[in-house]
Amino acid sequence: MARSQDMFDAIVMAEERFHGEGYREGYEEGSSMGVVEGRRYGTLHGAKIGSEIGCYRGFALVWKCLLHRCPAEKDSKKVKVLDSLLGMIQKFPYDDPTYDKLHEDLDRIRGKFKQLCSLLNVQPDFKIPAEGSVLSF
Amino acid sequence: MSWVRAAALVPCPGDEGDVFDEEADETLLVQREWRNHMHRRIKEGYRDGVDAGKAVALQQGFNQGYKKGAEIIINYGQLRGTLSALLSWCHLHGNSSALISKIHNLLDAVGQCEEYVLKHLKSFTPESHVVDLLDSIQDMDLCHVVPAEEKIDEAKDERLYENNAEFNKNCSKSPGEIDGSSTERCPTQQHAHSESPSLPWILEQTAGLVKQLGVPVDVLQHLKQL
Repeated sequence: MARSQDMFDAIVMAEERFHGEGYREGYEEGSSMGVVEGRRYGTLHGAKIGSEIGCYRGFALVWKCLLHRCPAEKDSKKVKVLDSLLGMIQKFPYDDPTYDKLHEDLDRIRGKFKQLCSLLNVQPDFKIPAEGSVLSF
Repeated sequence: MSWVRAAALVPCPGDEGDVFDEEADETLLVQREWRNHMHRRIKEGYRDGVDAGKAVALQQGFNQGYKKGAEIIINYGQLRGTLSALLSWCHLHGNSSALISKIHNLLDAVGQCEEYVLKHLKSFTPESHVVDLLDSIQDMDLCHVVPAEEKIDEAKDERLYENNAEFNKNCSKSPGEIDGSSTERCPTQQHAHSESPSLPWILEQTAGLVKQLGVPVDVLQHLKQL
């Protein structure tokens, strides 16, 4: 009785052992496939955010410099909104996909940017490649 | 117990013939069946392993790619934003349409550059370590990741600029140091040899543009790191 129990255990364990062997090999293969696939998606998403945030930052920094030259604009609403936008961008962890308020913060930044544009009375065209780059002249 | 191991590990000699051999030991059939069964278990395990490994690695890869993509592309975004700000300044102050069209062209060039870089970023393999990444980035003409003292040598190796050593040196300097005299021959160089305009060229053109607009060069301060 005891002997057949041993035999049974051995068979069950063998099943597990072989399953485990396959599993380990598959896990390695799956890992490298997953990294490639994940990285591809991640790069696209990260690039999209980076591109957008970079646009706002570049735009805001140039305008800050331009407004700085005009004494009349020293304490204007434009400057305040501009500083507020730059502060938000500064704090925004644009390269961290695990940041839980990513979309919330991004929407606030977008809103602030729109406010700035309307105060400056400009309609910037960033020519994001996805929208097709057409020569204007 | 011992036959279990033997059947699983030792390959059966003379496979095909044995099945129809009436004299053959019955245990051969049992061994074969056992072996097939174990092969199936290995395959099942493999499939489960692939799924599990993929599930874990997908998120890891996504996070890695996201960080890389965001870090690299933000520089192009900043350049794009800078040009857009200058463009809106021009519109407000009624600058000449020649300058405006120049900014539009530069914006398009940034777009091409960005697309080109993104295309190469996406094709990174999992074996990519830091050294490989740096190599790939160098291949992409992204001079801003290379320490300043290496720029000249590195630029010399690029087929893009192989015909014009003088131009190499100009492109390796920061945009502020470059005078307008060399800018006119750059575009032809650029488009004749390269799939996409290079970042140094765009920066150089932008610096020239700022001078023409008569705004302080400080507006490009934040692009110094590129």
